[in-house]
Amino acid sequence: MTRQEFLLAMDRILELPEGTLTGAESLDDLENWNSLAMVEYIALADSNNGTQLSPRQIRDGTSIDDLAKLARID
Amino acid sequence: MHAVISAIEYYLPEATVSTGDLSAEFPEWSVEKIDSKTGICERHIAGKDECSSDLAVAAAEKLFSAGVSRREEIDYVLLCTQSPDYFLPTTACLIQDRLGIATAAGALDFNLGCSGYVYGLGLAEGLISTGQAQNVLLLTAETYSKFIHPRDKSVRTIFGDAAAATLLTAVDTAQSFLGPFVYGTDGKGAPNLIVPTGGMRRSRTPETATASEDESGNLRGADNLFMDGAEIFNFTLSAVPKSVEMLLSKAGVGFDQVDLFVFHQANKYMLEHLRKRMKIPVEKFQMSLAHCGNTVSSTLPIALKHASMEGRLPPGALVMLVGFGVGYSWGAMLVRWR
Repeated sequence: MTRQEFLLAMDRILELPEGTLTGAESLDDLENWNSLAMVEYIALADSNNGTQLSPRQIRDGTSIDDLAKLARID
Repeated sequence: MHAVISAIEYYLPEATVSTGDLSAEFPEWSVEKIDSKTGICERHIAGKDECSSDLAVAAAEKLFSAGVSRREEIDYVLLCTQSPDYFLPTTACLIQDRLGIATAAGALDFNLGCSGYVYGLGLAEGLISTGQAQNVLLLTAETYSKFIHPRDKSVRTIFGDAAAATLLTAVDTAQSFLGPFVYGTDGKGAPNLIVPTGGMRRSRTPETATASEDESGNLRGADNLFMDGAEIFNFTLSAVPKSVEMLLSKAGVGFDQVDLFVFHQANKYMLEHLRKRMKIPVEKFQMSLAHCGNTVSSTLPIALKHASMEGRLPPGALVMLVGFGVGYSWGAMLVRWR
């Protein structure tokens, strides 16, 4: 999965118009970043390259870029 | 001697909560959104005075009414529940009396959640293959709704109350119909799906009844069911595919030889993700939660009953059952349908 594909997938997860996210966004500012979105993000990382992420690791992230790094998106 | 599943019946309480009802209560969640994530249209909810024993007795009576067994023939009752009528006495003892089962029968409760049916079938096979019992009545019954705060959509959208009754009968054969089994336990996951109070560790007090709001706007107190959905999802991704692999290896059976995969019906999103990840064809994967929700230990027998009614279980079909959840506890097994 490319970075662009990841950002589009996160747009869908966070119910944002396609092309909204750039990566720099703070998770605290994203209204729909909640436990349900976290589950979908975990599924996305797992589907992409089998990366298994613990919610603890994810909760340490502060931005969409952090989520991309955790999911090993180039 | 080995055990065979002779019959399955289930009972759902009368009252229902539809996805439309929930969407009206939680306007930020549309019907479409709840449907797409959970795959559940309605959940049945036990009445105020309706307990697990009532649901279990109703399920067992359906089984006796169907004429597959007479209550006098039951010589062991196994009840899987985490919402028993009392701390003591054992709910299975109350059920023995209410069902008019012989006093010579054994009866016990065991406390497991979503893995409980697999463990129950393992116990029943053990009882029958060692000659301790001939006709085991395996009951699964939960009223999780009584633990759930009405303003907690994270669990209200998912869980429903139900009971199932499975009759296991001894057959004189060298071939086993239930098994092999693989089991797993990881108590480190305990805090991720828990009702913190009500046992001896932490008593209920006015303070524990007081609800506070979490980051997603759900209300709950320590007396209520708490589920960390992300942690549970992560556990499932780690435990289920490994269990399936271990079971196939233990049984010496190829993936393609399994005719039907029946997983604990947690929610549609999780099941679909597991199915795709494990490359299980849709036609070999049972989904039976739309009209009852996640009924904890009853999801597997309910799904088996549906599969049977849908004609997906011809005699000789090889079925894989996988249960996983609270504990953490998990188990997988094969059933040769008869």
